[in-house]
Amino acid sequence: MEEFLAQLPQQLVNGLTLGSVYALIALGYSMVYGILQLLNFAHGDVYMVGAFIGFGVLTALLPESGPLLPSVFIIIAMLLAAMIGCGLLGVGIEWFAYRPLRNAPRIAPLISALGTSILIQNAIQLTLTANYRVYRTEKIIPLAAGFDIGDAHISATRALVIFSAIIMMIGLTYLVRRTKLGRAMRAVAIDREAAATMGVNVDRIIVLTFFIGSALAGAAGVLTGLVFTRVWHTMGFNAGLKGFTAAVVGGIGNIPGAMLGGMLLGIVEAFAVGFIAPAFKEVITFVVLIIILLIRPRGLLGTTAIQKV
Amino acid sequence: MSASQLSLSGRMSGVIERWNALPIATRFFGLLVAAATIPFLTSNDYVIRIAGNVCLFAALAVALNVVVGYAGLLDLGFIAFYGIGAYLYAILSSDQFGIHWPSWLTLPFIALLGVVFGLLLGSPSLRLLGDYLAIVTLGFGLVFAQLALTLDRVELPWQEGVVINVTGGTNGIVKLDPLSLFGFQLSNVTHYFYALLIWLGIVLIIVHHLNQSRMGRAWRSMGEDALAAETMGMPTRRLKLLAFSCGAAIAGVTGAIFAAWQQSVFPQNFSTDVLITLYAMMVLGGISNLGGAALGAVVLSVVPELLRSPELARAIFYATLTLGLLLFSKPRRNGPIILISVIILGFLLRWIVQAAAPDLLTPPTIKVAAESISSAFDRASQQFGILVQGWILFLKDPLLPGNIAFVILIPALLGLSRMKAGVLKLILTIPAIYLLIFVWETRFAAEPAVTRLLLVGGLLVVLMIFRPNGLLGKRKIEIV
Repeated sequence: MEEFLAQLPQQLVNGLTLGSVYALIALGYSMVYGILQLLNFAHGDVYMVGAFIGFGVLTALLPESGPLLPSVFIIIAMLLAAMIGCGLLGVGIEWFAYRPLRNAPRIAPLISALGTSILIQNAIQLTLTANYRVYRTEKIIPLAAGFDIGDAHISATRALVIFSAIIMMIGLTYLVRRTKLGRAMRAVAIDREAAATMGVNVDRIIVLTFFIGSALAGAAGVLTGLVFTRVWHTMGFNAGLKGFTAAVVGGIGNIPGAMLGGMLLGIVEAFAVGFIAPAFKEVITFVVLIIILLIRPRGLLGTTAIQKV
Repeated sequence: MSASQLSLSGRMSGVIERWNALPIATRFFGLLVAAATIPFLTSNDYVIRIAGNVCLFAALAVALNVVVGYAGLLDLGFIAFYGIGAYLYAILSSDQFGIHWPSWLTLPFIALLGVVFGLLLGSPSLRLLGDYLAIVTLGFGLVFAQLALTLDRVELPWQEGVVINVTGGTNGIVKLDPLSLFGFQLSNVTHYFYALLIWLGIVLIIVHHLNQSRMGRAWRSMGEDALAAETMGMPTRRLKLLAFSCGAAIAGVTGAIFAAWQQSVFPQNFSTDVLITLYAMMVLGGISNLGGAALGAVVLSVVPELLRSPELARAIFYATLTLGLLLFSKPRRNGPIILISVIILGFLLRWIVQAAAPDLLTPPTIKVAAESISSAFDRASQQFGILVQGWILFLKDPLLPGNIAFVILIPALLGLSRMKAGVLKLILTIPAIYLLIFVWETRFAAEPAVTRLLLVGGLLVVLMIFRPNGLLGKRKIEIV
């Protein structure tokens, strides 16, 4: 028990780091689902592409001779490049794989999403090979940097991840709750046709949703790269799954729910690794998922949907 | 030309009509008997193995169809049932625990346990709708995959120091007993091919009759609209559970036969790739269409094998490209125009590079070794390969240019697919096709495994866009 208490703060920090990444991925899932009722299976691969874009920028700005820019600017450049690149990729995916299927039977876009996911993964494998790439984070953020809160040591990288994730979430919440664009997004999510009759340009809102969701996934990819340093071409599958799980746990289609679900999932996973057994982390995560869904079939913050015919 | 085409398509449709007019049992046994002759036509174990694989995947795709196609439950953990069947067989008939059950006992036992696992997974999922079900089943599949990997060192909490190896981890379980049924031991590929063919026949008969029965009708009505079915008084909970268990039982037994055939089980036999392939097979043929699922299994297990030999793959690639251009370009004259322009463009580019920077090019790598080549086809395809390598820019260091071309190619093809027909599209198609050939020669041919998956992925997307209900599927009318 003492050992448990001693480790608790540190595992909490680990969980929050992991959770920030999951939450950012979950947001994209949740937003797209809220608007199109579509499981965007390719979302995890968008995240992977983001990690690779970040790697590319880092390698370009950090030659052997030393960094070309101060660290802060390098990180901002990585995040911006990944967000814009992934946002465009997301828009492209929507345009190519989902838009023609807007009115098809429900399983069709799902299969199309699976196909897109396979396409992206293998396109990356073809061009960049299946090898791991390693972010040289220690060159821009010193390993020793960080601060202590009680027993927990928060390294600067982890703090950066948690901090930027929170900033992005606040930004997104502001966008959705307080701006005209956010109001249009909420309207489309509630009833697409009614929103269209009220003069909302539904297609543009859908494109924007894909852009924002994919940009967040791209940022998540860069942050993952900075903390865990290794990126590879199939990393998106598992992470996408976790992000989706987080979205479901929080109540899919619900933006605060996705954040809560992501953090919760990250903490559960960190605890599973730290206190039980690393080998069973997926098992524990999914048992927790199933239990939560059994108690609240619509997720933690999801509202019970009344099915109308 | 059009007259001969008409008569050809007329004859083809006549044959198809006659075939469709036959009673279903006749068609079914006709195909089965035709498939059963394969081992007599060839003594090549490789071909028979592929045929066995087709049967295996067809049985799985049909079982998946019951769950997804008929009952409309999106089950992404299906592969776990297949794996559980295989691992159970491995545990019950190997030296892993020294248990050697006779096959006539193991197979029904596995089917029974499949039903139990189906119920176990199904009963909590009944509370969940559509996509929630998908995630829970996907999680179940992942849990299975991880347990298969990690259950090689199970420590019992009540017994110190005892470590039990259940699944063998990455090393899997090897040296399984062969199947032996009715006093006959299956010992070679041909035997297993027949066992799988018979099993596929049994599965098709069972599923066909289920589908025709009261329960099958109930399933299909539920798949169409679960809410409406429930209003009509159908016990949707029980029906869903039955569908789940039925699919699980078939998958389990198929897994057992697979394990016995391979004489070993490894975690990677049950990876998500296999699940995706299965879904692709089911969707390709058309959801809720039995023949379609089997057809999808044939196409998706045979085509990758054809792509395995580079010469054959090259022949298929160029044949498909040429035929596709000739058949599907509108207006019809565009096909030959594009073909000829691409060929001219190739020679032009090669001539320019030859003149400007001859160091970049490399002579064809294919060498004619006259003695080793026996068949006329091989010789012809080799000649063709040399011809192509003399035409396309065949670079010394193809990696980077190939990758760049690939990155350009994807948006180019996507853009072209959405462009309005016209002269501009015609002109832009020519370099795009050339780029495609260039990427094929420099990158795809070098990485057949990746190319195969790229093709599967692209096929799924394109198929969904053009025929959302699959090749043999009927268009559903959605009433809202």
